[in-house]
Amino acid sequence: MHIPDSFLPLSHALIYWVIALPFIYLSFRWARREMDDMKVPVLAALAAGIFAIQALNIPIGMGTSGHMVGATLVAIIFGSPMAGVLVLTLVLLVQGFVFADGGITAMGANILNMGVISGFTGYYAFVALRKMKLGMKSASFIGAWAGLLISAIAASVQLTFAGLFPLVAGITAMGTYHLIIGFVGEGLITAIAIAAIERSRPDLLENSFLNPEHGGNVA
Amino acid sequence: MNATVSGNRNTRFLYAGIVIALLISILAPFLASSDPDGLESAAEGVLGEERMSALEELAPVFESPMPDYSIEGHGKAGEAGAIVIGTLILLGIGLALGKVMKKK
Repeated sequence: MHIPDSFLPLSHALIYWVIALPFIYLSFRWARREMDDMKVPVLAALAAGIFAIQALNIPIGMGTSGHMVGATLVAIIFGSPMAGVLVLTLVLLVQGFVFADGGITAMGANILNMGVISGFTGYYAFVALRKMKLGMKSASFIGAWAGLLISAIAASVQLTFAGLFPLVAGITAMGTYHLIIGFVGEGLITAIAIAAIERSRPDLLENSFLNPEHGGNVA
Repeated sequence: MNATVSGNRNTRFLYAGIVIALLISILAPFLASSDPDGLESAAEGVLGEERMSALEELAPVFESPMPDYSIEGHGKAGEAGAIVIGTLILLGIGLALGKVMKKK
């Protein structure tokens, strides 16, 4: 879902940077408040893992593929959507500058879509479903799926503003593809990862989903 | 890595994460689908091939050292190498940032 530079007029690209920057700032403030010796290794492992898994495009039929974004997974583990914004910002910076995946001027839009919109939607859908007593796996599956789908639709609307995509045809195409990508690439992988952590390191998740306002104190 | 970090239970999580991330990095060029992703497919559909390839021809704003996750002239091994490098860069950034940010 990485928007290249050629898809956005510079003025639009700048507006998305302006919207994304406060979230990036808040995500760094979150790190300053939350990072300790226990959490640094988890953050580093997730940054590396999310980058790697984004390189793994899964075929979804119709001659199309897609990959995981990962903001919801990171947000659930740390108990804050800001964690997702931080990790996706780092991943998108490296992808853009080192690998030409996603534009440089368009990076604000990509951070907004994949870090902010996907992470916030996914995390708060997860929290709402947990409050409705849904299990960890189902809640993380649906949350991650919703996060990816909504962020793809946001990207489509941005490309409509850019004069590139017709509104309805754009949303239909982006929605259809990302409904499937979100199911396999985001929902299933997130649920599997959460299930694995729940089994091997339940302490990592213990507080984070119960206390969405403050992020769980893992230590 | 200092003693407090290596003596920490989460270091095992870090090592497991590194192993999984490197495994995916090495296998990705062989397993990943080369079909266009959802955004490219949607763009091709609504813009038509001609306008799409015109947009793709535009010179990038910034010249990346390893565009498209590849190292020129090294085929699949180069792709695996590029992704491994990216994974290690993010590992380094994650550790460094965590260290700078962490509570004293």
